[in-house]
Amino acid sequence: MSVSIKVSFLLLFAFINFSRSQLPFDFSKKGHTNNWAVLVDTSRFWFNYRHVANVLSIYRSVKRLGIPDSQIILMIADDMACNPRNPRPATVFNNANQHINVYGDDVEVDYRGYEVTVENFVRLLTGRLPPGTPRSKQLLTDEGSNVLVYLTGHGGDGFLKFQDSEEITSQEMADALEQMWQKQRYHETFFMIDTCQAASMYERFYSPNILAVGSSLIGEDSLSHHVDPAIGVYIIDRYTYYALDFLESVDPQSNKSMGEFLKVCPKSVCISTVGVRKDLFRRNPDHVPITDFFGSVRPVELITEIPKLLPKPNIAKPKNITIEKPKKYRYIPQLVNFDSFKEK
Amino acid sequence: MHNLVLFGLIICVSSGLTYKQDTFTEELLIKPLYSEQLYAHFQFSTKWDVDLDVEQFRHTHIFPRALGEIIERHNVQELHVTLTEGLWRYESWGYPIEDAAPGAEVWAWFKPDTIDVEKNWKLLANSLSGLLCASLNFVDPSNSVSPEFTFKPKGVTLTQNVNNTFLRYATLPREIVCTENITPWKKLLPCDSKSGLASLLNSGFIHNTRYHSIGLHLRPVCREDACQHMSLELQQTVSLVYDYAIMGTKNWSLKKLFGQAVNGRCDLADKSEIYVDITSKVSNDFNLEPKPDEVVTSIRGGQVSTFAKYTIKNYFMSIHSVSTGDKISVKAPPLLHANQYVTGYGQERGGIVTKIYNNHWSSLDVVVLQNIPWYVPIYLHTLKVISDNKEVQPLALRYIPGKQRLKPYYVEVLVSLPPRSITSISVDFDYVFLKWQEYPPDANHGFYIGSAVVSSYLPLARNFTGLPQDGSTIADSFNASRSGYLVQVRTENMVITLPTPDFSMPYNVICLACTVVALAFGPLHNITTKRLRLKVKNNETILVKLKTKVINKIKGVFSCTKDNDDKPKKE
Repeated sequence: MSVSIKVSFLLLFAFINFSRSQLPFDFSKKGHTNNWAVLVDTSRFWFNYRHVANVLSIYRSVKRLGIPDSQIILMIADDMACNPRNPRPATVFNNANQHINVYGDDVEVDYRGYEVTVENFVRLLTGRLPPGTPRSKQLLTDEGSNVLVYLTGHGGDGFLKFQDSEEITSQEMADALEQMWQKQRYHETFFMIDTCQAASMYERFYSPNILAVGSSLIGEDSLSHHVDPAIGVYIIDRYTYYALDFLESVDPQSNKSMGEFLKVCPKSVCISTVGVRKDLFRRNPDHVPITDFFGSVRPVELITEIPKLLPKPNIAKPKNITIEKPKKYRYIPQLVNFDSFKEK
Repeated sequence: MHNLVLFGLIICVSSGLTYKQDTFTEELLIKPLYSEQLYAHFQFSTKWDVDLDVEQFRHTHIFPRALGEIIERHNVQELHVTLTEGLWRYESWGYPIEDAAPGAEVWAWFKPDTIDVEKNWKLLANSLSGLLCASLNFVDPSNSVSPEFTFKPKGVTLTQNVNNTFLRYATLPREIVCTENITPWKKLLPCDSKSGLASLLNSGFIHNTRYHSIGLHLRPVCREDACQHMSLELQQTVSLVYDYAIMGTKNWSLKKLFGQAVNGRCDLADKSEIYVDITSKVSNDFNLEPKPDEVVTSIRGGQVSTFAKYTIKNYFMSIHSVSTGDKISVKAPPLLHANQYVTGYGQERGGIVTKIYNNHWSSLDVVVLQNIPWYVPIYLHTLKVISDNKEVQPLALRYIPGKQRLKPYYVEVLVSLPPRSITSISVDFDYVFLKWQEYPPDANHGFYIGSAVVSSYLPLARNFTGLPQDGSTIADSFNASRSGYLVQVRTENMVITLPTPDFSMPYNVICLACTVVALAFGPLHNITTKRLRLKVKNNETILVKLKTKVINKIKGVFSCTKDNDDKPKKE
């Protein structure tokens, strides 16, 4: 009995070794089969206009590079585009010269206003959503998904504020990602955060295959770029401004690498130091195309033979022999009959 | 090869057409509202000859399948959703084609065989929130009511008597409406926004208005005159009110209003038309360029209206209007309009007043519906209907008290308004405290109370533009004289400030500091101001007390009676 088990084990090992040797050379490089993006703005109120501009800048870029709206979860805590204070309705710009309308004419916000809470965010990541949650509000990732997580808002050492009323701590963030990993909800994650003391948010991560970048180190503030006098507040943050600037030069066919993206916004222009964490990531970012996270793979299967379509089977529907009584539909009065109350 | 593909396409198209009959019409009505505003209403209507009770929505042709699946899954018979920014000013603009409350408003009739309406309603709202990118998932039993009088099915039914337990109505007064809502809404149209009238819906232009409202109305209608079969009708509407002050001029053109001219018709549409209401040319003259294809005169309920009709062809087309005469026009207020406001001061007690204006020479019967959130507990005994300083007895009153966190306060009042009168319905409420976690992040902004709905059948169609019940296009409303014209006036939303604790840091610091000071101050004050002195209570010393206790105990042990046993304990 035990001998036979041993033999089968040996066979199994041999098989595994054999199949490994058959794998193509670049198998580990291209591991993902689909791309998702979770883009979160956690700040409410008009004076945080810049955070909405931040998140929409990334939204614009990933959408332009090919991630479909169904695979982008966009969370925006307040309405800036149609805010009565906005002199240019239905627009959010990335700079005062109205260079790019990052809001665009085709936008789908999945979580907005009061829906942007720590609970909803963690539930979204871990997939523990209440029954009846529509598909557009679910992160339907699998073990082949490359996930881009982008957060922006007001933070401190070890936390990020949501809507000025609650916080997510770095430990909670790390645990949520670990749960995602254990549930095979991602293949690789690129975690991007633009907030004060951003590096504190990713320092507790312990799950594999995460590449993280933050706009500032612990003890540093992230700064905004410039004021737009037309809206009276800061329009965008420095780090995201330069990130968008970089991403605008990327197209779906470009071979720019993540390594180049991580060098975006040097201290001379950012004022804060951009923090990077690579130790959990198994690949060298310099060899990872930027489209692995910001673009989208569309698996295409090439077939050599033209498949023959079978003729449609002729399913005879059982005919109802019973003759139905002709129905009589009618419009009914739109309001109650007042006279019935007057008689009383 | 090409021929084969073409042949295949023809087969596909023809099989699609023969599969089930459906039609799509697109219309735009532009109507100057006296001399200050311009009303533009888009009406996209899809009619599909299927039986709602049988159809599985596995295959659809023009009808949006995404919506079909939702209504099939949740057993919906009729669905109305509107998302609105701004308030329709009835007293100066007249009546819109579709009444809509500011914010989000959704009401649905479920099929009479629905088992769990509550659950289906919650899931329907969730699905709609995904479909329209709105926070409709906040609709739940705690803000929904089943009005008995106000919302009857607009579509056809088999029975004359409908049971309002299958109806749910909810509003989210604070819902914002922006491009993110119109984007998925446009994707439900057969031509998307690529061609036809929908290509005019450019968000930068349509949101730069005084009022914008998008609607989705689904109902079963008669397929033929005998009405032995039903068809499914979907009306998608966009209403916009442009302000000449924002535009800077009274001369308008399609390009000025929407950013571009019409680039041809939607090929799937059976009818693609633009109507311009030229009735007001009498007082404020304007010239239309190009000349209309046809001028339509409509006599409806005592009102004569003229419309310039343009049929959209397959090339770029724009319409310009140049204002020539600028006479002063007399505004004729509509027969019925209403306001709503909060009374009282302080943060203890307040009141809600709904003021209804009847400008007609005879009395009008109205239904007033109020859906008041649970955090505004009203007192029914304070409900008063006062008409011209005289208290009036309502014809009927329906009231279901709210329950904290579970159910809103539902009030429906039937009132007969005297001729040319102002009637006010007032009710008092208390301000309540919420639990700490229930305050939203911007609690200081205030809490919203949704608008009241004042419904009535008007005997005249003055200022009335609505569609008849059996019509689904703007063209159907021409010459559609009926015995009454339904208006459902929505009042303003109200904002109240509930007593909100200050969540900010200084408050906490002050609280903590005060507590520490109070705790320290008490004992310190006692020690420093009071003299401690030992005080003997009785003349008996402790030694004597102890002695008597011991003696009594010994006595108790030796005696057998309970009497003796009890005595020392009582001492």
